[in-house]
Amino acid sequence: MKVKIKQWNGVASWLWVANDENCGICRAPFNGCCPDCKVPGDDCPLVWGQCSHCFHMHCILKWLNSQQVQQQCPMCRQEWKFKEGETS
Amino acid sequence: MFVGGGRTRGAGGMKDGDAVLVPPGLPAAWAAVTAALVSPAVPPSVPDDTISDALALLCEQGLAQYVEGWLLETLQVRLTTDVAPEFWSNLEQPKGDSQEKDRARCLLDAFRTLLLRLEPFLGGLEQLGSWQDEGRGGLVGPGAHGLRERAFSVIRAILLFSPQPVLQKRVLEFYSRTFSVHMSQVGEGLEVEQGAEEADGACVCPGCATPPQLCWCKEALEQLQELSHILSRLQLLGRVSSEAVTSILHRLIEERMEQRCRGEYENSFLADFNEWLEQVLGWLSRVFASEVDEAGTDSVAAKGKPDQPGSAILQRWRCHMHQFFCRIYVNMRIDELFSIIRDFPESIPAIEDLKFCLERTNQRQQLLTSLKSAFETRLLHPGVHTSDIITVYISAIKALRELDPSMVILQVACQPIRKYLRTREDTVRQIVGSLTGDAESSCDLANELSRADPVTLETQDSEDEGSDPDDWTPDPTDALTDKTGSKRRSSDIISLLVSIYGSKDIFIDEYKTVLADRLLHQFNYNTAREIRNVELLKLRFGESIMHYCEVMLKDVADSRRINTNIHEEEAHLPVEEQPSIPLSSMILSSEFWPQLKEEKMELPAVVSKAMEAYTHRFEKLKAMRTLSWKPHLGSVTLDVELEDRTLSNLSVSPIHAAIILHFQDKGTWTLEELSGVLGVSQELVRRKLALWQQHGVVQEEAGGRYSVLETASSKERPERAVMLIDSDEEGDSNTATQSEQREEKLQLFWAYVQAMLTNLESMTLERIHSMLRMFVATGPGVTEMDANELQAFLQKKVRDHQLIVSAGVYRLPKSTQ
Repeated sequence: MKVKIKQWNGVASWLWVANDENCGICRAPFNGCCPDCKVPGDDCPLVWGQCSHCFHMHCILKWLNSQQVQQQCPMCRQEWKFKEGETS
Repeated sequence: MFVGGGRTRGAGGMKDGDAVLVPPGLPAAWAAVTAALVSPAVPPSVPDDTISDALALLCEQGLAQYVEGWLLETLQVRLTTDVAPEFWSNLEQPKGDSQEKDRARCLLDAFRTLLLRLEPFLGGLEQLGSWQDEGRGGLVGPGAHGLRERAFSVIRAILLFSPQPVLQKRVLEFYSRTFSVHMSQVGEGLEVEQGAEEADGACVCPGCATPPQLCWCKEALEQLQELSHILSRLQLLGRVSSEAVTSILHRLIEERMEQRCRGEYENSFLADFNEWLEQVLGWLSRVFASEVDEAGTDSVAAKGKPDQPGSAILQRWRCHMHQFFCRIYVNMRIDELFSIIRDFPESIPAIEDLKFCLERTNQRQQLLTSLKSAFETRLLHPGVHTSDIITVYISAIKALRELDPSMVILQVACQPIRKYLRTREDTVRQIVGSLTGDAESSCDLANELSRADPVTLETQDSEDEGSDPDDWTPDPTDALTDKTGSKRRSSDIISLLVSIYGSKDIFIDEYKTVLADRLLHQFNYNTAREIRNVELLKLRFGESIMHYCEVMLKDVADSRRINTNIHEEEAHLPVEEQPSIPLSSMILSSEFWPQLKEEKMELPAVVSKAMEAYTHRFEKLKAMRTLSWKPHLGSVTLDVELEDRTLSNLSVSPIHAAIILHFQDKGTWTLEELSGVLGVSQELVRRKLALWQQHGVVQEEAGGRYSVLETASSKERPERAVMLIDSDEEGDSNTATQSEQREEKLQLFWAYVQAMLTNLESMTLERIHSMLRMFVATGPGVTEMDANELQAFLQKKVRDHQLIVSAGVYRLPKSTQ
């Protein structure tokens, strides 16, 4: 007997490769989107800091903009620096 | 004899006078006056002057007042002793099986005789009246009019004090006959034909139902005229004929309605009936001919409108008949309302007629009660499919909003349907399915949706306010006095259906489920129709609530793009590196899809390798993202090539494909082995194998082994197949069912219940329910949960030994405390 697969339609869900489930700022799941966005994924990407914490990009930008003096990671209070090459 | 009686009374009167003083000439004067009264002759037998003198004398003696009394007394005695018995016996005349025609003549004769006997008195009364009016010889009294009134009261009283049924019977028969004669003459065409047909070829006059040579139609009409004349002369017309006419009309309208309208909803009968009623009025004008004439001349004199045809009496009868008609029509249609609703919109004419008539009779309450019970007995029982109930409900909405624009009937009568639908589990799914044009029969609702008057559920109140205040009408009195206020006015089918559950969230959740199912069943990535549906629903329910559905549709579009992208990339690879199976994927944003059924399954290496490769390319495409496959979901198209035959283009589920792929590597498997490599239960494997057994690819051998049937030699498989077909019918749906989801929500309460019972030891069901309401008021599920549901849930816990119930009180078992 020979089985010939002509077409395999699979189902998968995508997810961020992150070390946490939820965004530390908005508490919404990473796989969802930040409160200001409607569509997850490309339209609401995640960014990683050099401290290895990650957030919704929109969330961390908002946070950084509200910081007057020094820009710190809201989780570990280290100076916030984007991890290069990992933002999409 | 008559005159003699009069004399006796007269003599009596004189005797009274005798005792005091008898002036000369008094007896002569009395005799002259009474003679003139009881036998008025033309020319008068007694000269006018004599009468005047006689009257003057009587007045002088104070006896004039007795003349009047004497005359009435005489009339009364005469009636009781002779006239009335003669009349009744005349009426009974033709005994036994006499002809109808004879009976009619007899009726007329009886009345003729009656008139004949009473005529002298009536003449006398006129005479006396006119004397009184003139005040001849100083005579005073009530005058002609008053006297007539009195005399006719006496006649009516004596004659009809105890009317015998025979009169009623005869009159009824006679009127019915003249009615049919009249109708056959007026409404020639149709009626005549019908009459001829009914008579089965035997030639019969449609009017009098006798052979033509014996036809007495004309005679009957003449008799009718005479009778009506006599009756009106005696002022008995109303008394004698009203009842008969009423019952005839009633019966005829009813008969006609039964014949023409019952079960016939597609034509309006109002115009037809009005025409017919006019014909009937023609007959009535014959029955009441003389009175009509009289009244007619009266009105001519009074109002100067000579050509007013319908006199007051006919006008009154017209109103009566109209009332009869409306009432009978409404009664009939109330009985049939369920069928009328079911036949909507073909039954619109019937609805409009009913609306017209219902406004004229006070039968709304009856209609409501009857419709409600019709729904309950014919619709709301387990034997009716949910989709049928919904269809009838929709028809009812449409029909009743025609019938009663205030929507009160709709709201009250359909309450039971809504309540019942709430208890059916598949209601929402049915509604959603039909709303979005899934089932063939349901384009109705889909159209309704696409009519897209963008009325959202919330803004209905403001819409009401927007209408012209001058158009406002108060609610009918039978309106429910509930808080919803103007909301009840809603006649929008979709809002009504959606509001069955009180909130649109459940509805939208269900729609999400249905949409997910649909998207995961068809992998052609063609979402045009779904996009349209979502857009329409957005108009209804607002953007925000449909947001999840939009993301789902976007996922489909994105998946198609990613697939194309990845396939293009693969095409550039050298042949040996190309994937062994063509794999596409539907990539979901997990947060936005309804919960999918979780099942674990190991796919054959060749497939999982392809998936890995796909994932790898995806990761390259979308940085920092990866895929989590749902191996049990999806669909596979494959060919199975056997030695002597090929099954091509089979569309199967992944687990079927996985099983058959394993058989490719090894010809014979046991259930345990298969269950081992697939990582699913043996039971599931056995069920899934059924498909391949059905196709005759795999057969079961002794010892629970399954092997490939390379040649289709054995023809035993068909019977087998029939047996096995059903075993693969389990859950088609990819998503957790509503009840499963609900179960999960209820599970949330369990923690509360446990905590409560730990603190309070034991509680009744009501107590638990009210506590839950109080504490968990914020959750969406609690408010909708009723005590029954909670009880069912707690019972389940009792069965699982997590709770103990005794004497209606729940407590936790000792061990868990």
